[in-house]
Amino acid sequence: MFYRKKKKLKNYNSLAMCFHIPTFVTLTFITLIPILYTVWLSFYDYQLANPGSENVFVGFKNYVALFSDTELIHSVRITFTFMFGAVVLEVIIGICLALLLNTIPKLRRLFTSLVLIPMMIAPLVIGLMFNFFINPQFGLYVWLVQRLHLPLPTILTDNSITALIVVIIMDVWEWAPYLGLVFLAGLQSISGEYYEAAKVDGASGRQIFRYVTLPLMKPILTVGILLRAMEIFKEFDKPYILTGGGPGNATEVIDLYTYRQAFVSFKFSYAAAICVILFIILVGCGMIYQKIAMRGDGE
Amino acid sequence: MKKNRRIKLTFIYLTLIIFLVITLLPYVWLIITSFKTRIDAFSIPPKLFFKATLQNYYDAFITKGMLSNLKNSLIVMLATVGIGMAFGLPSAFAFSRFPMKKDKILLNYLLGTRFTPFVVLALPLYLIMSKIGLLNSFAGIIVAHVAFNLPFVVWMMKGFFDAVPKEIDEAARIEGYSWFRVFLSIDIPLAKSGLAATMIFCAINSWNEFLMALILTGRNTVTMPVAIPGLMTPQGTLWGQIASVGTVITIPVLILAIIVQKHMISGMTMGAVK
Repeated sequence: MFYRKKKKLKNYNSLAMCFHIPTFVTLTFITLIPILYTVWLSFYDYQLANPGSENVFVGFKNYVALFSDTELIHSVRITFTFMFGAVVLEVIIGICLALLLNTIPKLRRLFTSLVLIPMMIAPLVIGLMFNFFINPQFGLYVWLVQRLHLPLPTILTDNSITALIVVIIMDVWEWAPYLGLVFLAGLQSISGEYYEAAKVDGASGRQIFRYVTLPLMKPILTVGILLRAMEIFKEFDKPYILTGGGPGNATEVIDLYTYRQAFVSFKFSYAAAICVILFIILVGCGMIYQKIAMRGDGE
Repeated sequence: MKKNRRIKLTFIYLTLIIFLVITLLPYVWLIITSFKTRIDAFSIPPKLFFKATLQNYYDAFITKGMLSNLKNSLIVMLATVGIGMAFGLPSAFAFSRFPMKKDKILLNYLLGTRFTPFVVLALPLYLIMSKIGLLNSFAGIIVAHVAFNLPFVVWMMKGFFDAVPKEIDEAARIEGYSWFRVFLSIDIPLAKSGLAATMIFCAINSWNEFLMALILTGRNTVTMPVAIPGLMTPQGTLWGQIASVGTVITIPVLILAIIVQKHMISGMTMGAVK
């Protein structure tokens, strides 16, 4: 009996492997090997400008250099400022949107389809659109500013603080509705009994939100925040087309900086070292995400 | 009491409508501008009523040859979806039906690939492609797009296969179906709405992707998003044409997105939120 059971399990495994082979062989070649190659590269001194440098082994020199690279440290700081600003605003707006949509069951579907639009537009087009929208050459922005009696329009992307704010607003514009829908899904999964119980106990609307809704929403809030925080590390298209990282390097997020090191300065090995660090951070976050978000799933 | 409620509802709708206006205004403005002449586009105050023209579309797609970029985008997208589905479906099926001890590592690996910034993959892929001479070829960019879409297909489809009752498989097995036949002729048709959603997601991912395409394509393989910055010439930016290309890129995506609206949130959180 024991023998038979064991054999059956073994058969299963080889069958599963047959189904898995196409995916995992492909992924080995197109993601695993490239990433290992990046790690290997990061220990060398490969630069396009320096022929033969591909074979110069430098050990941890690239990694040590990372810590004294003021531009890199600056771009990390920009990335975190961007992440903090964008995620906080997105979460606040998201929660409000979810609460509002939750009160109108009739028109919810229509509103939902409409707020989906920003997250489906190619990020590059969003960058262009904002470029368009805040461009003083065009009518709309200048006209709005004059109507609202705001200070005269300047080119927002010429000032390092306003440029970063515009980049953040652009991200909020794209992703706040998305978090709204995620949170709405969370709100709807809360059983009505909790609210009834709270009402019976005489809780006010605000108390219900604070002591019933918010605690029950915690897992889904965490999922949303974590997901957005991780995606910030992928931000490239929008700042690339809107500000190009400028003025100076005021909006140069980490991906833009890595891109510049790799494909403008052609310091491949140095860029590879940044990539390795980025990869480690993101895989770490991904594992946390998996632990929190997929609880009870994938077993 | 009733009056109070009405005031509250009015307030809710008003807030939502303001939110919608802010959300949609920049995009609607882009579409409107694509139909304007240069003079209308630059006028202050902005013109809401103007003579619509298709000149921008003609200039961008026919004169500037954006049509060939559209074709390139389509080729890359179709190949990515095709390869992603062909390779990813069996694996998703195996994760759902033949659980193994090693699954956890494999699934984590897939999730890791999903969260890796594109630039991390783009650098080694660029160097490898340039060594084996695939830079600027369709193969190069398709490989890059498959690299981040394949893990996505497996994760999404695993969820959809999980939703198909296992009893059906067992019944078919007793009838003498091989596992491969169960997979092809029973589970895939049963998961077809999920299949459509996954395909559409993959298509959108590939269609909108910019960084990989920027690095890996050249002259004959440039996709639409990469071709747009080419319209920002030193002699001035051709805003009207950019708007027309932006409209053409986004409209098909929006139509597809409305079709898969039901699965949207689940797909974008890798199944964490149903």
